[in-house]
Amino acid sequence: MPGLLVTIPLTVIAFSFAMIIAIILAMVQVADVPVLKQFARFYIWVIRGTPLLVQLYVVFFGLPSVGVRINAFPAAVLVFSINEGAYCAETMRAAIESVPAGQMEAGYCVGMNYYQIMTRIVLPQAFRTAFPPLFNSLIGMVKDTSLAANITVAEMFFATQRIAGRTYQFMALYLELAFIYLMFSTVLTRVQAWGEKRLNSYGGNKI
Amino acid sequence: MAMLEVKDLHKSFENTVVLDGVSLSVEKGDVVAILGPSGGGKTTFLRCINFLERADSGTFTFDGVTHDLAHIKNREISQIRKKTGFVFQNYNLFRNKTALQNVTEGLIVAHKVEKKKAEDIGMRMLEKVGMADKASNYPSQLSGGQQQRVAIARALSADPEIIYFDEPTSALDPELIGEVLSVMRNLAEEGMTMIVVTHEMDFAKNVSSRSIFMEHGHIVEEGESAAFFANPKMERTREFLRMEANRGI
Ligand SMILES: Nc1ncnc2c1ncn2[C@@H]1O[C@H](COP(=O)(O)OP(=O)(O)OP(=O)(O)O)[C@@H](O)[C@H]1O
Ligand SMILES: [Mg+2]
Repeated sequence: MPGLLVTIPLTVIAFSFAMIIAIILAMVQVADVPVLKQFARFYIWVIRGTPLLVQLYVVFFGLPSVGVRINAFPAAVLVFSINEGAYCAETMRAAIESVPAGQMEAGYCVGMNYYQIMTRIVLPQAFRTAFPPLFNSLIGMVKDTSLAANITVAEMFFATQRIAGRTYQFMALYLELAFIYLMFSTVLTRVQAWGEKRLNSYGGNKI
Repeated sequence: MAMLEVKDLHKSFENTVVLDGVSLSVEKGDVVAILGPSGGGKTTFLRCINFLERADSGTFTFDGVTHDLAHIKNREISQIRKKTGFVFQNYNLFRNKTALQNVTEGLIVAHKVEKKKAEDIGMRMLEKVGMADKASNYPSQLSGGQQQRVAIARALSADPEIIYFDEPTSALDPELIGEVLSVMRNLAEEGMTMIVVTHEMDFAKNVSSRSIFMEHGHIVEEGESAAFFANPKMERTREFLRMEANRGI
């Protein structure tokens, strides 16, 4: 399938950046870091409040008019990272806040500091809670990468459009494309189930 | 000289005064039981002297050094915490760690003990509380009584000078209380210094060296446990002890 080798890296790279953005945005909110916390709220408000497609257009078609020219693929990576980061930040924040305060207090009582407790006790538990919704976001994102066709990224949808334009086999080609996306989701769902099982080895955050 | 001394501790939440000038002095080897009705400030007191809650005023002397509770620095707090243990009413075991890891986590991360050595210490502590055979269980795979015993092993791990207990048996089913109390009794016999907030009158009477009755943020009465129970001075203490005695019937 042409375009596959664009869709996969686009998803993998953008989702990795999104996770980094998400953890940072969630942490500055949970840790109540002044200014950065307000920035995080603002960022999430803007990104969640505007359509992904519009964000793609702003970066790819809009920015050049103010002198910032970014190639299609990096532009797509940028927009998907920023966009997905905002949604995943909310997932992470909720997950961190769902870890009982007693976990933090117990950590303090054995002499650990905030950073140690966060990284070794709270975040691992939060990640367990966040895992299914994060996977949900990932599966959603695989499909959303098709929007990158609009800014000339030669991913699967773009490639299929090209071929369909030449061969006129719209039905067969688009069904095939849909099937490939479905396969992606299927594999990811399997991976999710496997991951959840592993993470559940300690009883899945039950007391 | 007292190993731990609290002077004139005050603490309010918003407009409610919760601790209104509490002073307490603990000698090495003392087992101090703090009794009193719900809402009297017992938990808040323990939390203030372990800095989980910041007191409004008061001093805290530990290891010969006096600190201002309202302005104590984080660095000093963490130094003190490394020499104390805390046992919570609801255990608060790290849910993503096994019983053994719960005990070794602080040793490895905060005390920089080498992993192998920490595990040796951890196993010894688990043995002490009768939990060695469940070392690799996660908290979700343990009963309440077992979790609390692991929590005690965790509090013991860094060889603390004193351990604070906040109603360690209150969340337990009656048939599980005994196993936890017996671990605590052993600690007392070994000479561990402890402050124990409890509703277990038998423990206070028979195990603790001193008992304190706290109500409305004040210490109403304190004394040697034997005398405290045999012959309470204040009418309010007598009333409370009578009520507690009837509770068990
Ligand atoms: N974080 C808080 N914010 C506001 N009020 C609080 C807070 N923690 C405790 N209080 C109040 O302080 C008072 C003392 O509470 P504390 O938990 O210290 O009592 P206690 O003696 O431990 O009671 P119990 O036997 O029920 O555990 C209560 O009136 C309680 O409502
Ligand atoms: Mg209490």
